[in-house]
Amino acid sequence: MRSMAAFDYSALSVDAIRSGIAAKEFTAREVALAAIERIGAADAKVNAFLQTTPDMALAAADALDSAVSSGTFDEMGPLAGVPVAFKDNMNLLGTRTTCGSRMLENYDSAYTATCVQRIVDAGGLPMGKLNMDEFAFGSSTETSAFGTTKNPWDLERVPGGSSGGSAAAVASGMVHVTLGSDTGGSIRQPASFCGVIGIKPTYGLVSRYGVVAFGSSLDQVGPFARNVRDAALALNALVGHDPLDCTSQPCETDFTANLDEGVAGMRIGVVPEFMTAPGLEPEVGEAVLAAIQKLAAQGAEIVEVELPNAAAAMSAYYVIGPCEAFSNLSRFDSVRYGYRDPGHADLGSQYEASRAFGFGQEAQRRILLGSYLLSAGVYDTYYYPAQQVRTLITDDYRMAFGECDCILAPTSPRTAFKFGEITDPNTMHLSDIFTISINIAGNGGMSVPLGLSADSGLPASAQLICPWFKDENMLRVAAAIEREYGPAPIAPAFADGKVGA
Amino acid sequence: MTQHVTERDVRRMAEYARIGLADDDLPQMTEDLNNIIESLKPITEYDLEGVEPTFHPIGDLSNVMRDDVETPSFTQKEALANAPAAQDGSFLIPSILGGGDA
Repeated sequence: MRSMAAFDYSALSVDAIRSGIAAKEFTAREVALAAIERIGAADAKVNAFLQTTPDMALAAADALDSAVSSGTFDEMGPLAGVPVAFKDNMNLLGTRTTCGSRMLENYDSAYTATCVQRIVDAGGLPMGKLNMDEFAFGSSTETSAFGTTKNPWDLERVPGGSSGGSAAAVASGMVHVTLGSDTGGSIRQPASFCGVIGIKPTYGLVSRYGVVAFGSSLDQVGPFARNVRDAALALNALVGHDPLDCTSQPCETDFTANLDEGVAGMRIGVVPEFMTAPGLEPEVGEAVLAAIQKLAAQGAEIVEVELPNAAAAMSAYYVIGPCEAFSNLSRFDSVRYGYRDPGHADLGSQYEASRAFGFGQEAQRRILLGSYLLSAGVYDTYYYPAQQVRTLITDDYRMAFGECDCILAPTSPRTAFKFGEITDPNTMHLSDIFTISINIAGNGGMSVPLGLSADSGLPASAQLICPWFKDENMLRVAAAIEREYGPAPIAPAFADGKVGA
Repeated sequence: MTQHVTERDVRRMAEYARIGLADDDLPQMTEDLNNIIESLKPITEYDLEGVEPTFHPIGDLSNVMRDDVETPSFTQKEALANAPAAQDGSFLIPSILGGGDA
């Protein structure tokens, strides 16, 4: 048996892990043990995990190794033996599901979310649950009640959010595939900050059953990975109708099928308003322009498309999101589950004290905003018009996709910022300026790494946006970008088996 | 900047949302909410005459219905597993009529 310390599983691709186990070069148990050891050391620096599940990982690994012994490994799924982990708003029986909140600090998952089950059924080794902004309200993972997650590229910087743990765990090479959720950019922006791939699929492609809801008309679950094929394999496992989420749609697409086709003849849209947006840092804009030129050189047709109402997406989102959150978070009533403040003689004061202690500041802000926006009189000023603006934004995308197969844009206006650097809520909300309109319209979007930024040396990225249920288009473009820039590297301090400086 | 909500409004919103906001937190929360509401202004400036609302993305997809067949669900024990307090198979709560003397 090889030395565990020498077995660097982290640099292997998903396919290489599966074929290595099949060829008996190593066992699934060896992968699981190496991952447990690596997470134990590296996560002391990163703090991506809120809990680890070594027993689950070993049990899953042993089942795979038994399949190798009995000659049935071919029947195992495409993620067989791959270390995976889940954002902590996803239920997994046998774990807590905290949503990064004191409200759910002691909440035991009552069942397993469909998305989690599908990754486990595909052969993933569940390594644990990942840190997040409280109830997914945030863009830096700083609102978690359980400490901040560090960006593996620079431990003094945020990993982005709200799925910051999911991005950091992949960027530091602790696990290969993680799941996040994205309501306004919460997969794509942390993927951008951590230099990994993060996919928000088209609304309806992935079941949300068992994922704690934030904004139900906006929320979508998707994977993080370090190369496009790994991400496509994870997406294959995730998609499809689930009787337990009535928004989920049937899907027969193999997202790996067109990765080698190249972009020659594809029409790739560029949005001039995005490229000249105030707040877009020059090094980010330059990186995106360079990627556009490389795709043109590969034979893509670059076309300008207009999204005239995209500028209103931010304000529409901060109407729709808080209203839906206000409704969804009313379930935390201190009676059926969640934090109960002790010693109250009447139910009313128990509600108020429990929710005041259980919810952090940003969660309270959004709930109160929703409370205001849904109140009589105000509803007609903001809520109804926001839904009309949503129609305009959706129509914009529909028109734009009449002229192109995929849009290329910035993911975030800037690279990763430092802890505490942004404290004003409105400024923090601007982190999602390029991602939010996609949730409003329901299209798919993903962040792909573009190497390192010229000035800051931090990961640069681009966002790809696809027509409804044409997520294979953006994966095809992502594969073409990957041929130029290479797959996402593990952050240097964690590369080659290292576990942080 | 326009004052959209006063501290008294925020207190009322908090009561409606069942959040016992501390008096010390009220001024900052009021300021934050006013700033955020101010940022929503673009929504109020659009000419939306005749524009249909979209309450749900991808509106031309229809709901997926299943047959009305009974399937196993939570047991009483599972449903109560995360309850902060339970008694005789029910969720236990304090008095709902207030004052503790009901």
